Amino acid sequence: MAFKRTPQKFSASINEVVIGTGDKAVTLGGANTFPLYTFDGEAKNKVAIGVEITDEGFDASVPGIAEYYAGCEGIGAIAKKASEMPGADFVVLSLEGADPNGANKSVEDCVAIAKEVADAIDCPLAVVGCKNVEKDTQLFEKVAEALAGKNVLFVSAREEDYKGIVAAAVMAYKQKISAESAVDINLAKQLNVLISQMGISPENYVMNVGSAAAGYGYEYVASTLDRVRAAALEQNDAMLQMPIITPVASEAWAVKEAVVSEEDFPEWGPREERGVEMEVSTAASVIAGGADAVILRHPKSVDTIARLIAALM
Amino acid sequence: MGKFVIIGERIHCISPVIKKAMEEMDPGPILQRAKEQLDAGATYLDVNIGPAEKNGEELMKWAVQTIQAEFDNVPLCLDTANRKAIEAGISVYNRAKGKPIVNSADAGDRIENIDLAAANDAIVIALCSKAGVPSDNDERMMYCQEMLERGMELGMDPTEDMWFDPLFLVIKGMQDKQMDVLAFIQQLSDMGFKSTGGLSNVSNMTPKDIRPILDSTTVAMAMYCGLTSAIVNPCDRRLVETIKSADIIKNNALYADSFLEI
Repeated sequence: MAFKRTPQKFSASINEVVIGTGDKAVTLGGANTFPLYTFDGEAKNKVAIGVEITDEGFDASVPGIAEYYAGCEGIGAIAKKASEMPGADFVVLSLEGADPNGANKSVEDCVAIAKEVADAIDCPLAVVGCKNVEKDTQLFEKVAEALAGKNVLFVSAREEDYKGIVAAAVMAYKQKISAESAVDINLAKQLNVLISQMGISPENYVMNVGSAAAGYGYEYVASTLDRVRAAALEQNDAMLQMPIITPVASEAWAVKEAVVSEEDFPEWGPREERGVEMEVSTAASVIAGGADAVILRHPKSVDTIARLIAALM
Repeated sequence: MGKFVIIGERIHCISPVIKKAMEEMDPGPILQRAKEQLDAGATYLDVNIGPAEKNGEELMKWAVQTIQAEFDNVPLCLDTANRKAIEAGISVYNRAKGKPIVNSADAGDRIENIDLAAANDAIVIALCSKAGVPSDNDERMMYCQEMLERGMELGMDPTEDMWFDPLFLVIKGMQDKQMDVLAFIQQLSDMGFKSTGGLSNVSNMTPKDIRPILDSTTVAMAMYCGLTSAIVNPCDRRLVETIKSADIIKNNALYADSFLEI
C-alpha cells in the first residue's frame, strides 16, 4: 500500500512580532507547525539571525572576527559592518560594559553608544543588558527613550525586573521586549502571564526560555524548547505562543572549548575553530527546537547557519 | 489531550431576564451574560432560545450574529428543539474560533439532529438516552452505538464531532446511580470519544451553598474518568477553579503560578 502522508495541522500558531522599521524590518514567529516541519506546512517567516557586538566593539582575540571588522573605526562603523555580515538580519548590541561589577559604564555613555549604533545601521536592532537588575532597568528606560520610533528589541526582562522594563520600554516608548527565564518552563509561562496582565498585547514581546552551549546542560534547553512549542501548538496555550529568541554566542564563546588556548591544549587544535563549532552546533540545535531568532558572533557561524536556514525553511 | 471545554449555560430562556431580552431582541442582557461567562473561563457559550416555534430562525440568527460580533467570533452551542432555527443559526455562524455545536441529539425523537450536524459540518452533543433515564450502562451503550452508527454513516468524524452525553443524574434521589455515570464516562474515554453534559444536574434541589461543592467534586471525579467538556455555570468560581486544577493535574495545560487567572 502506498504511503499516505497526513500533515499535522494545528489551529494554533506562534505570534508574530516585528522588530525594526521600514524595508528591513524583521518578523519573528508565525509558525503553525513544529520547527522545520516544512512538510506539514510552509514556514511563514524564516529564523532570523542577529549579529552580536558589544559596547567595546568586537572580540579581537578571535582572528576571524578581528579580520572581519578590520579597519572599522568607532562603534558606528563596527555596527554597520555587523549589519552587512552575509546572513545577518539584525544587529545585537550587548551593553555588558554597563555592569556595575565590571566596567560600570554610565547610563549616559551607554545611551550614546546605542544611539550611534542605531544611527549607523538600517536593519533592526536588539539591545542586550548587563544582567544587573537595577542597572538594566535604568539602562533600558533611557535607551528606549533615546531610540524611540526604532522599534528596538530589548533582551531581556526577567521576573525580577520585568515591571520597570515593560513600563519603560513597551508602554512608554513602544519598543519590544524579550521575557527571559532560565530553562524553567513554568516560569516562562508565568512571566508571559504577568506581562500580559500589565496590558501588553502579544505582538509586543518575544521570549528567551534559556540557553546553554551544546554539552553544557543543553538537554534541559532542548526539552524546554520542545515542551514550549508543544504546549503552544498542541494545547493552544496562548501564554506560550511568543516567538523565541536564543542568545547563542554569549553561551558558546564562554565555555572551555571556546576559551582555552591552543598552547595549553595543543591536541584540541585552534581555538577559533572550536568556538565556531560550539556556536554552530548550539545554534542549529536551538533552531531545531523552535528558536525563531538566534544571536551569533562569528562571521563563519552566521554564514553557516544562514545557509542551514535557507536550505531547510 | 486538549483543555477541558467549559460550555457556559447562562444564556437560557428559562431566565426571565434572558427570556425578555429574546422576546424584544434586546442585546444588552444577553451580551452581559456572555461577557460574564467568558471572563469567568467559558470556551463555548450555549444559546438556548427554548422551543422558539414562532420566530426561531430569525431569533437564532440574531443571537448568533449579536454574540459573535461582540466577542471575536466566540464559538457557540445552539440549543433549541427547533431544527430550522439551528440551521438558520449555523448559516450565519463564523467558524474562526471553533465549529458550532448542535445541542442536542438523542437516540429517540431527536436523532435527526445528528443528520443536521453532519449536513452542516457541526459538532453534535449525543445524549445517550432514548426516552427517559437509561436504566444502566448497557442501555447507555446501546444508544451510544445507535447514534455512533448514524453519525458514521453520514460521514461524521466520531472522535472529534460527536460529543457523547452520559446524562448526569440528580444526586438527591438517584444517589445510587452516580458511579454508573462515571463508569460510563470512563468507557467513552477508553473508546476515544469526547464527552459532555449538563453536569449541574447532579446538584439539583440541593441547598444553594451546597451546589458548588457537589458540582466541583463531580467534575473532578468525571475528569479523572475522562470527561472532556461540560455544560455548566462558569460563574461558579469553585467549579472553574476545580476544572482548571484538574486540567493541570491531567497535564492538559502547563502549570504557571497564575494558572487560575488565565
